[in-house]
Amino acid sequence: MELTLFIIVGAIAVLSAVLMLISQNAVHSALFLVLNFACIAFFFLMLSAAFLAMVQIVVYAGAIMVLFLFVIMLLGAERLYPEQHPRFPWMVPAAVILAMVFLVAVSLAIIQGEVDITERAVAQPYIRVVNAVDQLEAADVYLDGERSASDLGYGEASEFTIWDRGRYDVAVYESGADPDTEAPLTTSKVDLNRGEAISFTAVGTRADPQLVIANEDLSGTDRSDALRVTVVNGMRSVQMIDVVRGTDADESAVLIDDLAYGAASNPTTVDSGLTDLSVFSEGVRRDRLVTFEDRELAPEQGQLWVFSTRYQADNSFEDVFLALETNELPAFGSPAAVGLTLFARYVLPMEMVALVLLVAMIGTLILTKDMVGTRRVVRRRLANPPAELQAPVTPETASHTTIEG
Amino acid sequence: MQPPEVATELFVLLSAILFILGTLGVLLRRNAILVFMSIELMLNAANLALAAFARQWGNLDGQILIFFVMTIAAAEVAVGLALIVAIFRTKKSINIDELHLFRH
Repeated sequence: MELTLFIIVGAIAVLSAVLMLISQNAVHSALFLVLNFACIAFFFLMLSAAFLAMVQIVVYAGAIMVLFLFVIMLLGAERLYPEQHPRFPWMVPAAVILAMVFLVAVSLAIIQGEVDITERAVAQPYIRVVNAVDQLEAADVYLDGERSASDLGYGEASEFTIWDRGRYDVAVYESGADPDTEAPLTTSKVDLNRGEAISFTAVGTRADPQLVIANEDLSGTDRSDALRVTVVNGMRSVQMIDVVRGTDADESAVLIDDLAYGAASNPTTVDSGLTDLSVFSEGVRRDRLVTFEDRELAPEQGQLWVFSTRYQADNSFEDVFLALETNELPAFGSPAAVGLTLFARYVLPMEMVALVLLVAMIGTLILTKDMVGTRRVVRRRLANPPAELQAPVTPETASHTTIEG
Repeated sequence: MQPPEVATELFVLLSAILFILGTLGVLLRRNAILVFMSIELMLNAANLALAAFARQWGNLDGQILIFFVMTIAAAEVAVGLALIVAIFRTKKSINIDELHLFRH
């Protein structure tokens, strides 16, 4: 289906380009070019570049083509000059031969280039870091010596950042520690693949921290009354937990089953709404460890749940439930994604492009102004002709007088 | 997300064809406005290839580059058409074969 559409619209695009080239009326050429631009906008939609498709229609097919048509009409140039006497007659065959050579070369490159089209078109890996380590008030986290999070307080999560694919050493340090000289609190090796969103969740205590690699799903749910949850068990005293909706360990209410300490669950879809969440120990004795009452689960957003334990100085402890939002990333090619990339990584090039536009504007003004200036000189000269032109023409002077212009 | 149904190669091939048509227009047409339109066609062909590869790699940089190309094309058209108008006012012609400014 998509291929059929591609072939039809592609044929229209090529046909309109050819008609633009051979059309004798410049206005017709411009209109065929508009058709061609519309086809390109359609291809942008197919290539999940929705924002650019709209910009293509508005800027190219709209503004730029209006400019073209305006100039064609202004100059009265819609009827083209006869082109039967080109100054370079050899140019036609040379251009055609060059074009054919280029087409063959490009086709060969495309066919033999082994572009892997079966690979999924998904984004690079995203990572963030969550600090849920008891008694670690601020943490720095490094990936292969490059800092990905700094001064991360207990219960805080860093923003998602984009990384290249590959194998990384993840190391957690006490905040302010020098990674070159000091030993990390804990390290772990991890493979980052394309399209993954990983929350490195540090749990445990400062003396014995553990790094949990929680794979999250950033795509959001299809349902409007549900959210996607990844659960990390950071309760050191319990080996295995169940997470239950409500307070009874009813089979139907179990959200997450048998989650070991230091493990992360798969992303699970959970109904939204106001609810109590209980944690049961799983094993020989099945106890309700703690209930977190009246938790509002907002729909249409992902969350990372971390259950951990904090010990006080007097050896009492409290169970902590951290619900960290996993913001749904803007879809590939959407205005939000393009804008985010533009402002996050391409501010300087954008400023420079804006400068180029400004220079173009000034250049256009100067081109026009210069013309007006020349005209004024001509007009002044016509009003006050030079003295020799004002002198009466006699037979003697007539042969010497020439009118310059 | 499913693998794309239309292969990247097809988009790049179409982009190459459009680019060559644009090149032919630049080389063969003698009307300056038509030459400019052909340049626009070439820029669009390049944009199409950029969008195809942006989807291929799942990377938005290609789409950002298209954005910049569009901006530069707008600037280029503004200056170019101003030049054409200026030349037309002095030479009364926009046939590029008649524009040999260094021969007077």
